Amino acid sequence: MKKQLKWYKSYHPWLFLIPTLIGLFVFRLWPISYSFYISFTTWDIMTPPKWIGFQNYKELLSDPTFYKILTNTFLFSLIYVVGVMVVGLFLAVLVNAKLKGRDFFRTTFFTPVVTSAVAVGLVWSWILAPKFGILNNFLSSVFHINPPIWLEDTRWALLTVAFIRVWKMAGYYMIIYLAGLQEIPGTLYEAANIDGATPWQRFKNITLPLLTPTTFFVFTIAIIDSFRNFAIIYTMTRGGPENATNTIVYSVFLNAFQFYRMGYAGALSYVLLLIVGVITLINFLLKKYWVQYQY
Amino acid sequence: MINKIFIYMLLSLIAFVMIFPFLWMIINSFNSEENIFRVPPSIIPDRLFKKDMFENYRAVLKDYNFARYGLNSFIIAGSAALGQVFTCSLAGFAFARMNFRFKGIIFALLLMTMMVPIQVTIIPEFYLMMKLGWIDTFAPLIIPSFLVGTFGTFMYKEFFENIPSDLEDAATIDGVSALSMFTRVFFPLAKPQTVTLFIIAFMNNWNDLLRPVIYISSKNLMPITLALTQFQGEYDAQWGYLLTGAVLSIIPLLVVYIALQKYVVEGITHTGVKG
Repeated sequence: MKKQLKWYKSYHPWLFLIPTLIGLFVFRLWPISYSFYISFTTWDIMTPPKWIGFQNYKELLSDPTFYKILTNTFLFSLIYVVGVMVVGLFLAVLVNAKLKGRDFFRTTFFTPVVTSAVAVGLVWSWILAPKFGILNNFLSSVFHINPPIWLEDTRWALLTVAFIRVWKMAGYYMIIYLAGLQEIPGTLYEAANIDGATPWQRFKNITLPLLTPTTFFVFTIAIIDSFRNFAIIYTMTRGGPENATNTIVYSVFLNAFQFYRMGYAGALSYVLLLIVGVITLINFLLKKYWVQYQY
Repeated sequence: MINKIFIYMLLSLIAFVMIFPFLWMIINSFNSEENIFRVPPSIIPDRLFKKDMFENYRAVLKDYNFARYGLNSFIIAGSAALGQVFTCSLAGFAFARMNFRFKGIIFALLLMTMMVPIQVTIIPEFYLMMKLGWIDTFAPLIIPSFLVGTFGTFMYKEFFENIPSDLEDAATIDGVSALSMFTRVFFPLAKPQTVTLFIIAFMNNWNDLLRPVIYISSKNLMPITLALTQFQGEYDAQWGYLLTGAVLSIIPLLVVYIALQKYVVEGITHTGVKG
């Protein structure tokens, strides 16, 4: 064991950690516990909260809108997670090939990621506008079909918003997959080529299995990311039409900051936390069955 | 050969889908309000290369105050990003090079709370800001992000951990204080990490919408994202101005991204591979 020269006193680490600890306690741990408390109260934030036990949760479970919102939340997350994983991997494989101009394509595919959900939401609303939008004009004049009215149709609105979020974020997952692809030793592909493997066989038997650690990571962050849908919903639909795009995330905002029902919003936010927690837990428990760490 | 042509066609098609909304935004920012509502839409804007080509930009920046909103966004995103660099580099350094009690627990708590959606913390946070009298100021948009930065802390921690201890030993023999060990010896080595964190934190804060929506009501304090959504509600049909505002709101980030692409991609791959 090497002799350690001590250049700091025992209080120094704490000094360095002051900002982080303030942040951790004031903006994370305290709010997380306080939200749990207010979910058992009725509170308009101006007058003191009143304890009402499980009333908020009971109200939630008996409200048909809550089930609608819950379904929307799961559907949105499902489309998002599957969408960004499939598209992200597809794009990564495409721009991983040795092609001229691949840096240009990487840059282009990543562009929507750095722009705000607000700007993206606005321009897509304009593209999708039923009468003046370019998409429906294009669809009806070229394919002679009667296109849906997208954001104003209760059957299409959620799908549309979810797809736009996939469009926006696919480049982010492409970059992560790309890093994973570059860690796979090229010799494996050479060996497969000598054995006469087809591109699909190489992808299925080399790329996919060796990419499982990346896929696990992508899956974990995509789930958390799938609940970050406030900005796009606020910009494009405000939860409408008829709650068609209302998710738990948006509903927390509505109840807390439009209706001032802090207790009810707190209960909703804890349902959200429970969902995130359970999915993450299952994900980590199942990890050992499908993630391969050895080459 | 056929294969290659097919791949390029596919890549170009995807590139078009990715870039078209931005092109459409820019094209429409050169349209007059009459031309924008033409059916079918015209691909070439009517004000292009005319004398009043930048009329929408002039109106949005001056009459609709977007110059001010842009400045607000710069102040908010810039201070929050600087704050993250400060907070995260100090913490990352402490986690990487020092030993102290509860180190593991504190680090685990940082990790775990990163998974918690903002909806769970925002109501108590709002209450706290109300008690502090900070509603309708920049403070709630800057301070929470200033003090919480798990991603940055990880990145610095990992970087500082991988520096050989010879450097530390040599500096110790020279008798540097703990503070200069950080400011003079270690922090200057982490320039790429600092640039990466600054850019990513700047982008996140520039693009944020939830906090501006709930905290800011004065017009002259609005960041550009909030201003756009307000504009959308107030002037429902003025799509020319709206899309011009949207172009203005993405230009700074696009410039930063294209100029410093390496750092942005580095930041993402880094979190990607190391988790």
